[in-house]
Amino acid sequence: MRPSMSDYLFDKTGDDPAVAELEGLLGVYAHRTPLREPPLREPPPREPARRRRWLPAAAAGGVIAAAAVLVVVWRSGGSEECTAAGPGFAFSVEGGPARCGGGVASRGTLRVGAWLETSSSAVAGVRIADIGELTVFPDSRVRLVGTGADGHRMQLARGKLAARVVAPPRLFVVDTPVAAAVDLGCAYELTVDRDGRTLLRVTSGTVSLEGHGLVAYAPMGTEVVASPGRGPGTPVAVGAPDSLRAAVARFDGGDPSAVRAIVDAAGLSDTITLWNLLSRTSATERATVVARLDELAGRPDSVRADDVRAGDSDAIARWRHALEQRWICLECYPGKKQ
Amino acid sequence: MLLALEMRAASAQGRSVDAREATVAELVSAAHGGNRAAFASLYERFHRVVHAIALARVPAYDAGDVVQDVFADAWSKLPRLRDPAAFPGWILAIARNRAIDAARRQRPVGVAADLAVDPPPRIEAAAALRAIRELPDTYRETLVMRLVEGLTGLEIAEHTGMTPESVRVHLHRGMKLLRERLGDERIAGGGAR
Repeated sequence: MRPSMSDYLFDKTGDDPAVAELEGLLGVYAHRTPLREPPLREPPPREPARRRRWLPAAAAGGVIAAAAVLVVVWRSGGSEECTAAGPGFAFSVEGGPARCGGGVASRGTLRVGAWLETSSSAVAGVRIADIGELTVFPDSRVRLVGTGADGHRMQLARGKLAARVVAPPRLFVVDTPVAAAVDLGCAYELTVDRDGRTLLRVTSGTVSLEGHGLVAYAPMGTEVVASPGRGPGTPVAVGAPDSLRAAVARFDGGDPSAVRAIVDAAGLSDTITLWNLLSRTSATERATVVARLDELAGRPDSVRADDVRAGDSDAIARWRHALEQRWICLECYPGKKQ
Repeated sequence: MLLALEMRAASAQGRSVDAREATVAELVSAAHGGNRAAFASLYERFHRVVHAIALARVPAYDAGDVVQDVFADAWSKLPRLRDPAAFPGWILAIARNRAIDAARRQRPVGVAADLAVDPPPRIEAAAALRAIRELPDTYRETLVMRLVEGLTGLEIAEHTGMTPESVRVHLHRGMKLLRERLGDERIAGGGAR
């Protein structure tokens, strides 16, 4: 007969306090998250590609036939995966060659699941459905993850792209190896280096850079770095002083004591950094940030300092709503103190 | 037929009893044709084992992302799956590959990496999870499915394709090793009786 622990460990019958204690301890990690969003993509066609049928024939026809096939592929603008009808984004390439879906392409349709890869001299323009456009810079690799009425999702594996989107918030998302850039109505540049490190620079509107349980809220004129293993860092103004950037880098690297240096270095243009810190700091550090943010930009009556210091997400959001006017038009809303 | 299946799959999102009525193969076939409700039902059935596979290799704050990536991957690659009944093994293979890739991208992380989740776990939980990760693959996956996700041995067998007896053996051997690593006489203490 098996000991009682055996029964409980296998089928939860019987009694074993020690295993139950472990369950209670580890149960906090249980997965409860629903599917992040309904899958956007349509499954690709069941047949991988028609060329599988005609390639053997081309081989049988000899080198000349094979060469002819290559010419056809080149002139038609790429492999069938990028020219066939179906959901996708129209694209065109200038300045050099690009590959799409495994073939060389100068124009075509980027189908769901297909990669577009630019050479060292090529620049590609991609139409994002009817909501915007994307510029893919040289030496970049992008994929259309999904497109539909409920949203459009792309992936930037490496290189750089610039997006301009006019659409409701969160309708367009670009995944990088370490974060997801969620469009909130904006124009921005996104760069991914060979290590997956991601740099977001927002030129208009606002972008939310998300990943690893962190959200970086980045309005126009700010930039933010997301690193492997750490996710999105704290946004800084494009013109932020080096002292502030160095302190932010220390903080994002795991040094909470850097908050003091951030607060000391922050000026009126750096309220975006301070506001993002409200959701990233402990209560003690947050109190310092609240004081400096209040001093620089003021705090609306509807936002109680105690609530913000306690980490109340509603209060922090309400303060953001007041600050957003400043972030969009700094000179229109001078702070209480410089 | 397809409409009926769609209705079953759609209702399966709201009522677990309906989700059980459709077989995995039926759901896979429907999802193959673009039925998102069927795919959502597959997610409901398999997200915990996928998460366990991820959590056995990467920090807690990354494991959730791996789950989403796995199912996004599965959705796009579903048409390549010729045998719908092979879905369980197929999705777990994707999960292992994704989790291994994610782990490779990570710098070595300590216990703190498992504390950055909401709600914050106790430090002992992070330590126990770390100890489980140091076990051989087969044991750690099974233990995470049982101790974290709360699956029974039979449920683990059903989702992984292992025999119930293999699951039982893995659980007990894994627990024995875990007990040795944690140095805690209380844990799995009954097994030594």
